[in-house]
Amino acid sequence: MKDKQAINCDLLIIGAGFAGMVAAARASSLGLKTVQVGNSSNLFLVSGLFDLLGVYPMASGHILHDPRTGFETLTADCPHHPYSKTGYKKVLESFDFLKNFLASAGLDYQSKNNENYFVLTAAGTFKPSFMVPKTFLKGCSIKQGPPKRVLFVDFKGLREFSAKQIANVIQDTCSIASTLTIEIPDVSSTLHPTRLANLFEDIQFLNFLSKKIMPFSKETDLVGLPAVCGLNKSLETIEKLEAMTGLDCFEIPGMPPSLPGLRLKNAFEKQLSQNNVIFLNNSKIQSHEFKNHHFILTAATENLMAEITTRGVILASGRFPGGGLHAKRERITETVFNLPVRQPEKRNQWYHLNFFNTGI
Amino acid sequence: MLFAFSNIDFFLTRQKFRPWLMKKIIETQVLIIGGGVTGTGIARDLSLRGLNVILIEKQDLNAGASGGNHGLLHSGARYICSDPEAAVECSNELNIIKKTAGHCVEETGGFFVAVSGDDEKYIADFPGKCNTAGIPFKKIDVADARQMEPSLADDMIAVYEVNDASINPFKLSIENVNDAISMGGQYFSYCMLQGVEIKNRKICRAEIQNMISNEIFYIKADTYVNASGAWAGRIASLAGIPISMVFSKGSLLVTSKRITKRVINRLRKPTDGDILVPGGVVSILGTTSVRVASPDNIFPTVDEVDRIISEGERMVPSLKTCRYVRAYSGVRPLVSEGNNDDRDVSRGFTLINHEKDGVDNFVTITGGKLSTYRLMAEKTSDIICRMHGIVSECRTKTIALPSTESGEWSEPGVHISESFAPKTRHDPVLCECEMVPASAVDTIINSIKNNKGNPDLISIALRSRVGKGPCQGSFCSIRILSHLYNTHELTHGAGINDLRKFLNERWKGEQSLLWDQAIVQSSLKEMIHCGLFGLELETH
Repeated sequence: MKDKQAINCDLLIIGAGFAGMVAAARASSLGLKTVQVGNSSNLFLVSGLFDLLGVYPMASGHILHDPRTGFETLTADCPHHPYSKTGYKKVLESFDFLKNFLASAGLDYQSKNNENYFVLTAAGTFKPSFMVPKTFLKGCSIKQGPPKRVLFVDFKGLREFSAKQIANVIQDTCSIASTLTIEIPDVSSTLHPTRLANLFEDIQFLNFLSKKIMPFSKETDLVGLPAVCGLNKSLETIEKLEAMTGLDCFEIPGMPPSLPGLRLKNAFEKQLSQNNVIFLNNSKIQSHEFKNHHFILTAATENLMAEITTRGVILASGRFPGGGLHAKRERITETVFNLPVRQPEKRNQWYHLNFFNTGI
Repeated sequence: MLFAFSNIDFFLTRQKFRPWLMKKIIETQVLIIGGGVTGTGIARDLSLRGLNVILIEKQDLNAGASGGNHGLLHSGARYICSDPEAAVECSNELNIIKKTAGHCVEETGGFFVAVSGDDEKYIADFPGKCNTAGIPFKKIDVADARQMEPSLADDMIAVYEVNDASINPFKLSIENVNDAISMGGQYFSYCMLQGVEIKNRKICRAEIQNMISNEIFYIKADTYVNASGAWAGRIASLAGIPISMVFSKGSLLVTSKRITKRVINRLRKPTDGDILVPGGVVSILGTTSVRVASPDNIFPTVDEVDRIISEGERMVPSLKTCRYVRAYSGVRPLVSEGNNDDRDVSRGFTLINHEKDGVDNFVTITGGKLSTYRLMAEKTSDIICRMHGIVSECRTKTIALPSTESGEWSEPGVHISESFAPKTRHDPVLCECEMVPASAVDTIINSIKNNKGNPDLISIALRSRVGKGPCQGSFCSIRILSHLYNTHELTHGAGINDLRKFLNERWKGEQSLLWDQAIVQSSLKEMIHCGLFGLELETH
């Protein structure tokens, strides 16, 4: 038998991805009694970057240095877009709110008001993004500042991150792009990112690492590392490494499992719990009704059945990976309330034949 | 200085427009055009008879119908009504291939299954026609059949057992090429025939373009074989010879798990969605027959996928709900005889000695099917030997096809158990869905380089299970790219375009199957490769 519990609240947030987490942060900061249901574990898939607008119009592939210029065109083109209804000023305020919220949980982000960062990725590409972890920051100067001498470091066994790949792909952007592969004693063929992150939290490992980097210090301005530099105090870890080597260091985001995503998960969960948000993790809505101006929903976790009475609901259950939408062969459905989903009539119109098509 | 430089630059860029500059000429006895099962089969057959061969292919092995089929060695029973002659050929070849290329074959056995509502006359005629064609079969009690294959439909009304088998056509072509190379033959991938020069009723040389470097070169051979399948009409036209082809596209679906032990055929007149072939750890359901104008740029459509599933689920109901990992298409090369239904056009092959067209050293082989590839190669090689004045018996009937290391990794699932713990500590698994370790990728890279090819994601995936599991290349693509950079096979930004091409190639097979888990997987792929890496943008 599962325990039963009745919960009364102002707001129920369904979903524990980015949207659900930020909604819970905002609602609880405004003093609403907030309950959140969902599953936060999918945050290990996110890169850790917060975008505003990197490309507009999409079909042209035009990359925006200043997101505001694209924002203005977009609001003129699509008056019903959420951005058009919110306005640029309010969007910036929300980014600031989020930045402060994460900072209070010990996770430091940075943004510039009218400028995108160009974040170097593990593929060797540069991604326009608006608010980035401070540990990524120095890598953004490669694309925008004067040419740098960069040393890329990878780890034997970390299969999806190649320093040589990045150095090769971006060699024309740097004045020198050199590489260093670290072999960790006792590591078998595969090194899991979370294991590496644990190592980074050990000062002896940082010592070992800085000794390997030091021989390159004369011809290096910047050191790029995979985004695995610790789980909890990544900025502190990077700063320690900088002090040891005397070189500027930064992280490069790549394939999941993503440490920057896990850092966000931890930061949100820590701060939301301080804000007294009740988080029913790994829960699913089982039933719902609307009565006397209130929603009454039941949510089930592994050992708890909660009856939640709430004045309002925010549905932030995501798309297909989050489970908010479900595709059958014939139709796409919304999974919690069975809301109508606007969609093309036939499945052959769901997707373009070219995976990289940007036209809409 | 600057002036001198730009002059060299000018010289280099203009080179291909200066016919008086010497171009490379390679000589051989036989030039074979087309790297499918037939072309590779001919390369081996002729090598065994002592002839020196070069095989050219405008893409890579099995790029056409040889790579776009069920991987089924027919018992012959499917053709007993529509094409009894082909039925007999299939039956004979099945026994030869099982004996000589057993390592490419899985002896699954097969069922012909009729469900309620199927044509009773066809069912009644089946045993007699099999007898006439000499195809072994056995009637199976419906209750026994359900015990033997629990996935079969409840409303089965008749079941016959035949000796179908499944074959891995990629492995088959790789092994045939490897064997030809071991006897002195050569294989050039991404080399396309651009034209032939004919003098005194003979092709005297072929003009070839390397599709990667764009280099033009010549091959001088004594005889020329057009084994280009659906492209046979196009190749023959370069020699001024018309061959009228019709193109019949067939699409197939790959399930994420193997569903039956045996090949399951629908016991009725051949039509859509009526064969389910197991291969390793997956099953393949097909097919369709859609007339297309050209054999290029074909892909499975949503309509075809839905039709295949709704037909297939009559025999095996779980096909309605199971997960599919990808779909693909092939084009049947059929020589036009004016019929309307492409399934009625003979599946038998067409072998043309172009002596009758005024070219004495040129042969075209097309049509046919995977099951009879060896026979097609034999008959073609017979003519070529006659042209060379050589009396030599075909030896592919008796000499076993050797098994080589680089052919091993194309087998679905067979290595999962063997390679679960890669042998050395420095051998990371790069493709986790199909358990392909770095050492296997290295073996494949070496074999591609030995064949003068360019190791990239697509050519590695062609020779292995890489990218063919449920993740459809989302993860292994990046790992293999990293590996290619780490081993200096790739430099500069070449890998980014390579990655784009590879993901788009996988996408062709995914886009018609996007429901349930597959759409979740593809959303994740989009998050990583577009959302983070921005591959849809030209940032380089």
